[in-house]
Amino acid sequence: MSDKPVKFYSKDKEHQKAEKLLRESLAQAEQEHQLVQSEGAEDELEELPKLKGQSKKKSLLRRLFWPALSAFVVIAAGYEAIQFVSSLVQTHWLLGSVVGVIAGAVVVSGGYMLLKGWRARRRFKERQQQQKQFAALLHKNSYGQATGKLDNLSAEIDEFVDIRELKQQYQKRKQQVHNDQELIQIYSNTVLKGLDKMAIDIITKHAAEAAAMVALSPLAAADMALVAWRGSKMIEQLSHLYGCPQTALSRLEMTKKVFKNMMLAGASELAADAGVELLGKGLTATISTKAAQGIGVGLLVARMGLQTMHLCRPVVFDANSKPKLSEIRKSIYSKVAGLVKSASGADNAVDKKEQGKS
Amino acid sequence: MDWLDKTLTKVNDLWERSLDRHIRIAVTGLSGAGKTAFITSFINQILHASTEQQLPFLEVATEGRLKAAKLELHDELHVPAFKYHQCLESLTAEPANWPASTTSISQAQLKCRYQIKSQWLSKVQEQSHLTIDIIDYPGEWLLDLPLLALSYKEWSQQCSQFLQSERRRKYTQQATDAIAQLEFHREFDEVDGSGQLSELAGEYRKALLEYRYSEGDNSIALPGRFILPGELSGAPVLDFFPIINADVLSLDWSSLEERSLLKSLERRYNYYRQQIVKPFFEEYFAKVDRQILLVDTTTVLESGYESYQDLKKTIEQLLAGFSYGRSNWLKRLFSPSIDKLMIATTKVDLIPPDQHANIESFMQKMIAQAKNDVGYEGVEVDTMAISAVTTSEPVSTEHDGEALLCVKGLDTETEESVLHYPGKIPTSSLSRNEWQHLAIDFSPFGIPQLNADEPLPYIRMDKVLQFLLGDKFS
Repeated sequence: MSDKPVKFYSKDKEHQKAEKLLRESLAQAEQEHQLVQSEGAEDELEELPKLKGQSKKKSLLRRLFWPALSAFVVIAAGYEAIQFVSSLVQTHWLLGSVVGVIAGAVVVSGGYMLLKGWRARRRFKERQQQQKQFAALLHKNSYGQATGKLDNLSAEIDEFVDIRELKQQYQKRKQQVHNDQELIQIYSNTVLKGLDKMAIDIITKHAAEAAAMVALSPLAAADMALVAWRGSKMIEQLSHLYGCPQTALSRLEMTKKVFKNMMLAGASELAADAGVELLGKGLTATISTKAAQGIGVGLLVARMGLQTMHLCRPVVFDANSKPKLSEIRKSIYSKVAGLVKSASGADNAVDKKEQGKS
Repeated sequence: MDWLDKTLTKVNDLWERSLDRHIRIAVTGLSGAGKTAFITSFINQILHASTEQQLPFLEVATEGRLKAAKLELHDELHVPAFKYHQCLESLTAEPANWPASTTSISQAQLKCRYQIKSQWLSKVQEQSHLTIDIIDYPGEWLLDLPLLALSYKEWSQQCSQFLQSERRRKYTQQATDAIAQLEFHREFDEVDGSGQLSELAGEYRKALLEYRYSEGDNSIALPGRFILPGELSGAPVLDFFPIINADVLSLDWSSLEERSLLKSLERRYNYYRQQIVKPFFEEYFAKVDRQILLVDTTTVLESGYESYQDLKKTIEQLLAGFSYGRSNWLKRLFSPSIDKLMIATTKVDLIPPDQHANIESFMQKMIAQAKNDVGYEGVEVDTMAISAVTTSEPVSTEHDGEALLCVKGLDTETEESVLHYPGKIPTSSLSRNEWQHLAIDFSPFGIPQLNADEPLPYIRMDKVLQFLLGDKFS
């Protein structure tokens, strides 16, 4: 290496070498860029730096525990069941075969339920994936990728809900020149908006019912059971509506997720909701404590319902279309207030009767 | 109780009027950008919106709140009316023609009846009116704005610099020679000499216009009314030209006599500034709420690097009015009220839909700096690729074994169906070298048969309407 100044012209081999290296590095950068883009389209939109080592990697032995335990229980139960049936066969062949058939039915139906649960779970996971894909397309200026995806989605929803009219609306509004972003927005504003309306109706119905039941129920323990029952029923109906039906088994997971999301819901949203509730407290307190409890439970169920909508809707809500608790709150109030009024009306009638008697 | 009834109706009237809304939208663009077609489509879409539901992105229409709309005579009766029906007729006639282009200012008024969205307001009054005034004026007039700050001498200096370039000299040599021979200090008779003056001014104007059309340069060669005089055609106010003699420019003009030729020219220039340009901007900046600027990016892509740079400069000048319109001297002169500006690239129906994003981003790059300046002043700016009246439909085909998205339309001459692929449109600005290798061809299509009773086919007009009007329908 010398320290003297030197120039390389394009005929020199140093110059050519430098050009070649530059081209290669450019080509490589482009390739990487494309790779990242295609990956980004496939799974994740966010490419924020993540904390390493924070992932939930448990050690092998810890992970082994639950599968091992369940396998052990299943084998033990199976073995015991076979022994039980064979001992019954030894007692009398008819008794044995009847019990055997029953056991077989248990195994078959259980297996069927497991299979359905597994499929529902997979569907739910696919839905989460869909949400991510649509969100990615909404931020890109691409063309021609959304049509197929939206048609698939329509087919999925069509299995459970009659959306012919909504689909017609969508077909009428879309143009061939619309890009992916516009198509998804139109789909969201027609088909999904129609579903949202139905979903809000379902939530309102269940929340109002739960509120009324709790307001009337005499037992605190029954309240909890009521919430669980109405809540799970509502989640089932909502998930059906959006085309990813959930069964009891998978619903557990979903319920877990719903509660988790409710916990994590943005502070602002919570604050707004709390404000709304506080505002109503004056009214509710005057009705009665029990009615207030009922309204509280109704609001809880409604919030569960809204979170389920967020989880199941294939295209996430934007700031304008987000359903609000206030829409449902009114009907819960009116339902409970109506109940209390009629109850107090009946009370008054009874009082008057008694007065008349005496 | 007659007076009580009267008062009640009056109160009611006042209420209604206070809830009614009024919006003025100015449409501009350099000639050939498609202003007339845009306004025709604008009016057409609004008139059909309540019954046809053809505007998926206009919220008030999809929510079913737009009850009815009608075209009315505007309040400013001295402004010529936009001839909507004639334009529509020429589009739907046999054979169809593009409506005649804008040469002057014109105005149209639309009235919409809509349902109020706000829960509180709708308790007071369920429905309200929105009056939309659409003002159409040549973009060239906007280029006059800098004149307000220039004296005749400064303007002359600027022009003589501008005329020095080799490219322009070819066209203007004759006219400038004639101007240079004039004796400016000589006494000038306004009545006898005006014929000679107007002849000379006409020559100067013609030379620059010729340059402008053959070179495609839209920049500041001329005051805006020289290009499109509107109702001023032939008026003596347009009979002036810059002084290009270096020796005269270096003189002190205050010692000259009032009756000299130079003073006469200066008077005309000042009159033009004070009586033509200033009132226009006063009216325009103080009253307009929303502005849409149409840019024909397709034509500039077809021509070369030079005209691209020219267009870029011109648009920067057009937009300068909006950015310094909110600060310093202009703010003191007029109080601007524009709060939203849309810059739309027109005629994208000549481009396959998968490349709309490309042309939009190409235009965004072209206007980036100007857009930034305008945005800094608090004006909301958006860009879009639109087509006011679509003449084509996208079709996919196979070419050289690969899928290719084209547009299908009618050939302008033979009227037979033709597929067209314009080439790969660049997404960002190009260097001089890259421009030379750019292979792009946007051949226009003939107008297909349009039904006068149906809304005109469009691309993204609904999004434009939502941006310009959406918030007023609340």
